[in-house]
Amino acid sequence: MIKTPDLIASLAANATPVRRLRPPVMRAACWLLLAAVVLTLLAVNQGIRPDLVQRLQEPAFVVSMSAAALTGALAAIAAFLVSLPDRSRMWLLLPMPVLIVWLSNVGYQCLTQWVAIGPDGMSLGEATRCFATLVLTSLPLSLAMLVMLRYAAPLRPIAATFMGSLAVAAITATALSLFHVIDATVMILMWNFGTAVLFVGLAGVFGRKMFRWVAPRTLYARD
Amino acid sequence: MTHDSHDHGPSLRLVGKDDRSGAHPTSQVARDVDWSILMARAQEGDRAAYHRLLQEITPYLRSLAARRHRDRGDVEDSVQDVLLTVHSIRQTYDPARPFAPWLVAIANRRFIDRLRRQGRTRDREIPLTAEHETFCESAANLGERPGERELEGMVSNLPPAQQNALRLLKLKELSLKEAAAVSGMSITSLKVNTHRALKNLRKMLLNRSEP
Repeated sequence: MIKTPDLIASLAANATPVRRLRPPVMRAACWLLLAAVVLTLLAVNQGIRPDLVQRLQEPAFVVSMSAAALTGALAAIAAFLVSLPDRSRMWLLLPMPVLIVWLSNVGYQCLTQWVAIGPDGMSLGEATRCFATLVLTSLPLSLAMLVMLRYAAPLRPIAATFMGSLAVAAITATALSLFHVIDATVMILMWNFGTAVLFVGLAGVFGRKMFRWVAPRTLYARD
Repeated sequence: MTHDSHDHGPSLRLVGKDDRSGAHPTSQVARDVDWSILMARAQEGDRAAYHRLLQEITPYLRSLAARRHRDRGDVEDSVQDVLLTVHSIRQTYDPARPFAPWLVAIANRRFIDRLRRQGRTRDREIPLTAEHETFCESAANLGERPGERELEGMVSNLPPAQQNALRLLKLKELSLKEAAAVSGMSITSLKVNTHRALKNLRKMLLNRSEP
């Protein structure tokens, strides 16, 4: 085993200048900007859902969508805060109130305006387009989040991945409700909640591996 | 070692006259500011400052580690773990914020990781006790296994060079280099003699099993 003074000497010899991380809120803003760009590009490409203006007058829809978007923003901020060693773990609670509003609103809609899915309730074509939106939104955002959070790998990998994937899931759900006519409420629940669970689950399974892949090298040299 | 002298206070007192910090002892605040400055300079690539910072935090980390680990080796390993982590995520430190909480958060993470890993290892492995130990000296293992004495007899029937090579390499499990140093034989001749010894033993054992 290398002696501690030797280790210190070799670390000091490797002390190349590093760029300090920007403040966490600013980094979250950068990530959200990327999310906005992705959503705009998708809007140009796929077109906003035809009945958006009409739907925007329904309070339930507005509340649900803005709660989803807000959850995304707050979860991103929380993820960047939690990824730093000296910030409190309590930041994890930041997106929780909005998250509860979002999910309970979706659940409430599901209960009150139950619409049975008829044979033509949702076509296969629409489902695949939904899936395409889901992948196109979430993939670049997840990768960006992963790279931006890589310094959290040796500290709080689970909390950071959880928050990061919650942010991605919420933004993706917003995108889905912007671009696709999913009126069968059970579908809304499925898509919204499903996306959230999907991303958090994927993060749980692959988070550590992916982090190892992008994390700074010296960390795992001794494992 | 100059480490111990750092435990008692900072070598540079920047805010030595600052008495506003009611709860914290002044020296602690000064030390923290000192470390902050050193880290900020290290982030800009100042190797001397970084070297001094790492040297100064090491005794502090050691005292933190000693609260979690009992084994001295574990303490030193944890300290090195923390130093490596500090090195790889040094860009996450913001000089506008105090240094010690940043360091302590990283250190606690590493200590807990090590304790968890040890816990997992303990669940799977059983430590060897004195009874599990065996000795290459024949006297210690007398009569342990039935064929042992017979095998020992066969080994002593081998030519001296082969006997010597076999005892050093196979029974005492020395490396070729060590065995060469002990016996004065060359590595090649050790290899050849071991090979011949094993061949002879095999022959003897086969002859014995055929009535």
